[in-house]
Amino acid sequence: MRSPIAAVGWEFRQRHRWGLIALAGYLLILAMIKLVVVTRGLPINLDSPESFAFVVVVPITATFTYFLAVFTFGLEGDLAARQSMYPARMFTRPVTTAALAGLPMLYGTAAMMILWLATRLFALWPSGIPIPSLWPALLLASLLAWTQALTWMPYPLPGLRIIVTVVWLGTIDALALLALHFKAHESVMLAILVPQPPLAYLAARFAVARARRGDVPDWRGSFAALAQTRRVLSRRRAHFASPASAQAWFEWRLHGQSLPLWVAILLPFELVLLWGSGDSRTLVFTILFAVLLTPPFMATFAAAAVSRSSPNASDSYGVTPFTATRPLTDAELVAAKLKMAIRSTIAAWILVLIAIPLALELSGASDILLERLRRLSEVVGTARTVVVVLLALWGCIAATWTQLVQSLYIGLTGRASLIKGSVFLMLGFFVLFGPFAEWIIDSNRLGELWSALPIIFAILVGFKIIAAVWIVVRLYHRRLLSDRTLVTGAAAWCLAVFAIYGVLVWLLGTPHVPHYLLMLIAILATPLARLSTAPLALAWNRHR
Amino acid sequence: MSEQVIDVSGLTRRFGGKTALDSVNLSLPRGAVYGLVGANGAGKTTLIKHILGLLRAESGSVRVFGLDPVADPVGVLSRIGYLSEENDLPGWMRVDELIRFSRAFYPAWDDAYAEELRQAFALEPAAQIKNLSKGQKARAGLLIALAYRPELLVLDEPSSGLDPIVRRDILGAVIRTIADEGRTVLFSSHLLEEVEQVADHVTMIDRGKIVLSAALDEIREMHRVDGRAPSLNEIFVARVGTTAAAVEL
Repeated sequence: MRSPIAAVGWEFRQRHRWGLIALAGYLLILAMIKLVVVTRGLPINLDSPESFAFVVVVPITATFTYFLAVFTFGLEGDLAARQSMYPARMFTRPVTTAALAGLPMLYGTAAMMILWLATRLFALWPSGIPIPSLWPALLLASLLAWTQALTWMPYPLPGLRIIVTVVWLGTIDALALLALHFKAHESVMLAILVPQPPLAYLAARFAVARARRGDVPDWRGSFAALAQTRRVLSRRRAHFASPASAQAWFEWRLHGQSLPLWVAILLPFELVLLWGSGDSRTLVFTILFAVLLTPPFMATFAAAAVSRSSPNASDSYGVTPFTATRPLTDAELVAAKLKMAIRSTIAAWILVLIAIPLALELSGASDILLERLRRLSEVVGTARTVVVVLLALWGCIAATWTQLVQSLYIGLTGRASLIKGSVFLMLGFFVLFGPFAEWIIDSNRLGELWSALPIIFAILVGFKIIAAVWIVVRLYHRRLLSDRTLVTGAAAWCLAVFAIYGVLVWLLGTPHVPHYLLMLIAILATPLARLSTAPLALAWNRHR
Repeated sequence: MSEQVIDVSGLTRRFGGKTALDSVNLSLPRGAVYGLVGANGAGKTTLIKHILGLLRAESGSVRVFGLDPVADPVGVLSRIGYLSEENDLPGWMRVDELIRFSRAFYPAWDDAYAEELRQAFALEPAAQIKNLSKGQKARAGLLIALAYRPELLVLDEPSSGLDPIVRRDILGAVIRTIADEGRTVLFSSHLLEEVEQVADHVTMIDRGKIVLSAALDEIREMHRVDGRAPSLNEIFVARVGTTAAAVEL
């Protein structure tokens, strides 16, 4: 190897050779199938969406997310940290910053282009659909290039990287979807997408330059007054009542404040729109809807850090010796995280519940809301209106808490590949969800989907119950939870399911919705399997 | 109560293809300072992590105070003081918060002793851990490992953060004090001169195997040449074939 370009290429090839071999094998199989079909004229087509999804969509999506992880160095870094995810070991290499940023982008862009062009060439596409030649390749390359730039950028606050990346990728995805929706010509799509990789390269070069000179902006000092108040309050408490309360305090200080902080930052920007809404009911309700969704939405990002035991440890996913050597059981360590999540959720929702009435009153938009509530109570009755509002609120609060804790079962394993793999799967899901929904709507399959819902839900419930039984047996045999806790937990879960079922029957009790479907929904809506896996995951991590 | 503080039997641990511990047997009675010596990568930290329950025994067994540290972390860890070589104290805590947090876990925490140690180590209560020097961080870690007078003190390469004078004064005094009270210290290091100063018993580990384990005086007698008792470093070279320092380099 006599050049940096060859060395960087070799590193990617060598580290990910098994993935690349699998991809080459897949493309080879596609090519062979097509060869057989074309030469022998066999009547094979992929008009069935299931077979097309199985043969083409799923593999290409998996490869896309895999490439995102590979070419951003996402398997090495920490998504939630302020520091750049670009590997620091590469900064000492005698190459320019332009090359440091440009070479992985060059390889990534080439890989994405080849992925699309090979798939387009070798796959058997459903008949009657014009397959564009270039713009999907450019879309994939653009998404990768921006992901690289945004993940390599140092950020002033922990967790900001995830928000910026998701918002920006979502914007590009939305632009492409809009253009598709309006049946834009390929040249328009190209005009939108061609500038993206060069712009992303400039951003990436700037990001790598900052990271290389150790320039990490820090806005945490802006919250010094908050920290000072916290110190004063903490001085008042002489001692902790128990080890569990000490650990809960530790978790709160470490992770609990990020969600209320993010909500506090976003709320003013959202609620200020009320002043510009005029008399538009739609706009007022859209703004309120967005505000109510802010805590659960932000909780998905805050959750990325909740399972970590230290933001500064070299192995930030593993349990640090400081935490691992606390004389607490694995269940008590998990319980501290769950308590922290409750406090964090409550803090975030106190902010929302204070800010919304205040903003409605000051902006004069409260009349619109009150008038709508009055009309609703006239139709369904006051009691039902109050219950609906309270339930909606409770649903949002419960969703916030669930978002914070439901990924613990992955995060607490401490296995970087599992954690990062799940993150990239989620990113891939979000990127592909739009086109998939568009396809469902365009192909008029909503009715079929609706008819299949009971079966889909029943299958999901089956999986959930089987997983839960397996987990409970493991928890029992490994004595991670006491018999009393297991029985109490099971009883509380059953109670929650029946409570939700009862409310659903009361609210939606019509002949059009069968009761068993409501029961399936209640079972699926109540956290069980993933939450109860958390002590097992932590035990796997703490006692390796 | 078991007289064996630590009882390791047939412990083997592999990381991928590498055998980190190979059929290790070790039995440490109460009331002495045990030096665990070996080159970097010899298996010292892996053995200590098994004792703390941070690694699960793949084969063989580990008992601390007669208990399995994985099955009963509370029973074991509440009686152990541990100073990690990684020095991973939470940087965001202040010294007084660290003390307040740590005391919640140990019923035997001695406030007066903790304060005495804090003053002896010159640790400011309002100082943030992340702003402390490496030596001060080690002192803070030592403070919270000592303040509840643990039955077993485990020090994993504790000297890495301390300058020679502080190292000699603080560690020597602390280890002797604890041992005098009938408590037990397991002290791992690859700096053999340091171990020689404080340990009563020495266990040498090399490539995952225990090559020697006996009282220090006994070891010296066993290796006496022409009436001269060799240093621990010389004995290590004789047993292992290289010096710990050389392996480290």
